Amino acid sequence: MDKRILFNLLQVVVVLLFSPLVAGVTSRLKEMVQSRRGPSIFQPYRDLRKLFHKDEVVSERSSWLFRFTPYLTFVTPLFVTLLIPVLTDYPLFFAFMGDMIAGGFMLSLGGFFATLAAVDSANPYGPMGASRTRMVGFLAEPVFMIVFFTVSFVAGSTIPFIVQQAWVTPPVNFFEPSHILLMLAFLMLIIAEGGRIPVDNPSGHFELAMIDESKTLEYSGRGAALTKWGGYMKTFVLLCIFLNVLVTPWGVAHEQTFAAVMFAVPMVLGKIFCFILVLVVIESSLSKLRLFRIAEFLGAAFITSVAAMITKLFIS
Amino acid sequence: MNLILVLLFPMTAVLLSLLPLEKRFAPVVTLLTQIAVFGMALNLALQVSTGRTVIGLANWLELDGLSALVLLLVTFVALTAALFSWGYIFAHEKVARRIRFYYAQFNLFVFALVAVPVLVEPAFVWIAIEFTAMFSVLLVAFGNTHEALEAAWKYIVLMFIGAVIALLGFLILFWAQKNAGGGLYTWEGLRLSAAHMSPVLLKTAFLLILVGFGTKVGFVPLHTWLPDAHSQAPAPVCSLLSAIKTTVALYAILRLLPLLPNAPIDIWMQTIGLISVGVAAFLILQVRDYKRLFAFSTVEHMGIIFVAAGLGGKAGGYGALLQMLSHGLTKSFCFLAAGAVLLVFGTREIGEIRGLIRTSPVAGLALLFGALAIGGAPPFAVFLSEFSIFRAGVAQQHYLVISLLILFIVVAFFGILLHVTRMVFGKPAPVNAAAPGSVPFSCTLALVLAVVPVLVLGVYEPAPLHKLLTFAVSNLTGGMP
Amino acid sequence: MVYPGLFPWLQSLNALAGGFFLLCAFGLVAVRQAQDCLRLFVAQSLFLCLSAFMLGILLHSSDLIVVGIIDFISKPVVIPWLLRRTVGGEVHTRREITQVFNIPTSLLIALALTIGAYLFAMPLLRAGNAGELIGSNLPIGLAGLLIGAFTMAVRREAVPMALALISMENSAFFAGIAIAPDFPLIAEVSIAFDVLILTFLIGLLTRAVHQQIGTTAVGELTELREANQS
Repeated sequence: MDKRILFNLLQVVVVLLFSPLVAGVTSRLKEMVQSRRGPSIFQPYRDLRKLFHKDEVVSERSSWLFRFTPYLTFVTPLFVTLLIPVLTDYPLFFAFMGDMIAGGFMLSLGGFFATLAAVDSANPYGPMGASRTRMVGFLAEPVFMIVFFTVSFVAGSTIPFIVQQAWVTPPVNFFEPSHILLMLAFLMLIIAEGGRIPVDNPSGHFELAMIDESKTLEYSGRGAALTKWGGYMKTFVLLCIFLNVLVTPWGVAHEQTFAAVMFAVPMVLGKIFCFILVLVVIESSLSKLRLFRIAEFLGAAFITSVAAMITKLFIS
Repeated sequence: MNLILVLLFPMTAVLLSLLPLEKRFAPVVTLLTQIAVFGMALNLALQVSTGRTVIGLANWLELDGLSALVLLLVTFVALTAALFSWGYIFAHEKVARRIRFYYAQFNLFVFALVAVPVLVEPAFVWIAIEFTAMFSVLLVAFGNTHEALEAAWKYIVLMFIGAVIALLGFLILFWAQKNAGGGLYTWEGLRLSAAHMSPVLLKTAFLLILVGFGTKVGFVPLHTWLPDAHSQAPAPVCSLLSAIKTTVALYAILRLLPLLPNAPIDIWMQTIGLISVGVAAFLILQVRDYKRLFAFSTVEHMGIIFVAAGLGGKAGGYGALLQMLSHGLTKSFCFLAAGAVLLVFGTREIGEIRGLIRTSPVAGLALLFGALAIGGAPPFAVFLSEFSIFRAGVAQQHYLVISLLILFIVVAFFGILLHVTRMVFGKPAPVNAAAPGSVPFSCTLALVLAVVPVLVLGVYEPAPLHKLLTFAVSNLTGGMP
Repeated sequence: MVYPGLFPWLQSLNALAGGFFLLCAFGLVAVRQAQDCLRLFVAQSLFLCLSAFMLGILLHSSDLIVVGIIDFISKPVVIPWLLRRTVGGEVHTRREITQVFNIPTSLLIALALTIGAYLFAMPLLRAGNAGELIGSNLPIGLAGLLIGAFTMAVRREAVPMALALISMENSAFFAGIAIAPDFPLIAEVSIAFDVLILTFLIGLLTRAVHQQIGTTAVGELTELREANQS
């Protein structure tokens, strides 16, 4: 039992430590795909250290919300980490504290406060970004719901640790149309939620075109560092849900030994890096959509997820 | 053997028409082919009228009462249309290449039309019906005007949608038969295994085929293509389209009736038919184009046939088939008459034509006869067949259906005559200068040939025809002759 | 003979082809460029072939393999070629094409049609004692048919309309290869031939309309009507 608590905490540590690395690898890979050299993969760590050492500037007009939000965005992904399988394929100590829907709510709690803080900041770009994020968010919400419901319908449970085995027992189930379509829908969600091309450009510097980034423009020093780190961790958590729960439970630890769990760390990271390569190729080969076309993109995701649901629901 | 020749002749005529020989070669070949095919069909029909099925290739080409009736109708209408084409095409078209092209298409179209009743395997009947549409698209677009192209586009699109829906119906029918233990996939084989088939599948298949081929028949609300295509094509093609292309699609639907002896489809058929009759009757009142007038009249008559088939029983079936025959003959005559009017006046607008009877007595008389005959006035064939339908309906106490039917038919009759009398009588209106102006001899001959059965069948039913019809009714109701 | 342990894999591959087949049908309603329509249509035909091959192996039906090969030649290869020959450059236009409804609305309606197709197929599957193969192919075929008809209604351009038409035929086939695998082969070949004729005719008509009227938005032609004639 105590081992399981340990492993659960280990997951948190892994997420904390390696999420900036994933971000660094992503930007490096992207530059490389576009035949440029790009920054070191450890650049996010340097950025974070630099920001933590800087002074923070907070507008006099803003309220407690503005100061409170970075801590919330930093903490919520960590809580979600407790609920999902990052390194193991058996339920850990906190697994039954909440299901996938709880995880989704927790992530959106962070997003909700980030939106409020953006409005609170009184920067004209903040509310604009906030309203755009909400637009993307509420279009993505039904897709999330349908994906979760379909997955839990298949597995008979909404606990991610249990769900992860459902698609590969027997292994032929991997090729079920509902599974492939769900993967496709969730991939589109990751792109939308992660603010990636074609929905949003994470490396853009043009405030008018920003969706996600403009919410955090007013943050500096520690606040900025926490928000950034929280964002990295959120991406990491989403990737873990996608890769470990929906796509492949392979590579995670099966035995309840310390060595197996430690060995799972490079495996999972390798899996994430492979997937990032795919994501980067997608990003580099598409161009950003006009704002109102995002509805169509997420509409497509919605259709895909519903198609997955009905091919499963009606036949079985 | 004759059954194979009936198919081979038009196919050969297609190839011969394409030969770049003298300008009159293709029309001569086509006319001779149609005469030969009609002769063979008549011979076959006489054999069938003795009550036995003629077999060309077992389970492929067979001719029973119902299909012999349709074959006879198809070949006769094709013959008159071929004769009419001679004068009509030479009056409108000077380019030899386009004339050859017209005749090749014409023969191809006739080939597909003849194939429908002769084939007995539903899958092949489906293809034949689909080919009747595909091979007539370019004939509809023959005028190459804005309207003709639009009509052809609507035509091809709706034809194909209908075909695909019907295809699914036939696939489900095949599935149902296989589940019921298999058997021959022919009309007869299906009838034999129908009792073991799952009723749900059978009804679904029928519904899909009804919708699919119903589009091709032109049942309201799937009729939108019909007035367009039937008004834009050259007149002889219109006569083929309206008189027999719709009929062969209806034939395929009627072929399924013996499979469903116990299902409550009568009320569906009566409703669908009545809707078509009613809507078409009121649309006839507001047309401005006399070819569209006859096109809507086709929608109306298809509805009448379907209502009659829906009445069920021997009397209803007899009425339906007689109506099918008389409508085919009369409608082809009507469209040929309309073609003659077009030759004289060069316009399709009802409002621009006055005093036709003085400008051209032939066209005027033909149009007047056609209007009276198709409207159902005695002593023409349609009167007799409609009357037998009323009698069948009253005998089976479908009073509401019959009174509605009579009401709609009267409205349609009134509408047709209203328009046609305005065209035929009165002070002659000026003639379009671009029009050929007169009716060529071959067209007049075709009109005379076409009007003969319309008149004869109105007063007298030859004994072999009566036997053939009785045989056909037994095919329709699924009993023995 | 195929190793029996492979059967579940082939079965789920068939179902997967069905899933993507349906997605392509959705795509045909929604995409904005004529070129993408063509690509989606080609993809859809390839999934049809894949399904035909899987079913051919599973049901030991050489007919289905032949059907698959014919489809593989005719639809992804010959039909685009025919369209290009007859219509010309219009096929590959990157121009955005308009629709009657906006895209999310069209997608939602297509979704409703899909659910309707499943509801419609349920009693059929029960009545026909359908196994898993028919269970995956028949509803998807029905849905594809309905979505294709809907696409016909919302599209205005000739080439996407033609592709939607042929995709309807694809869908009927998709259902057909499962429910009637031993449907007469000659019939299936003639159906493939019929589709080629259709493509050719539509190509010719489109070119004639383009020359005569100066547009390929054939859905907007409304000369022939009762009401607007003077």
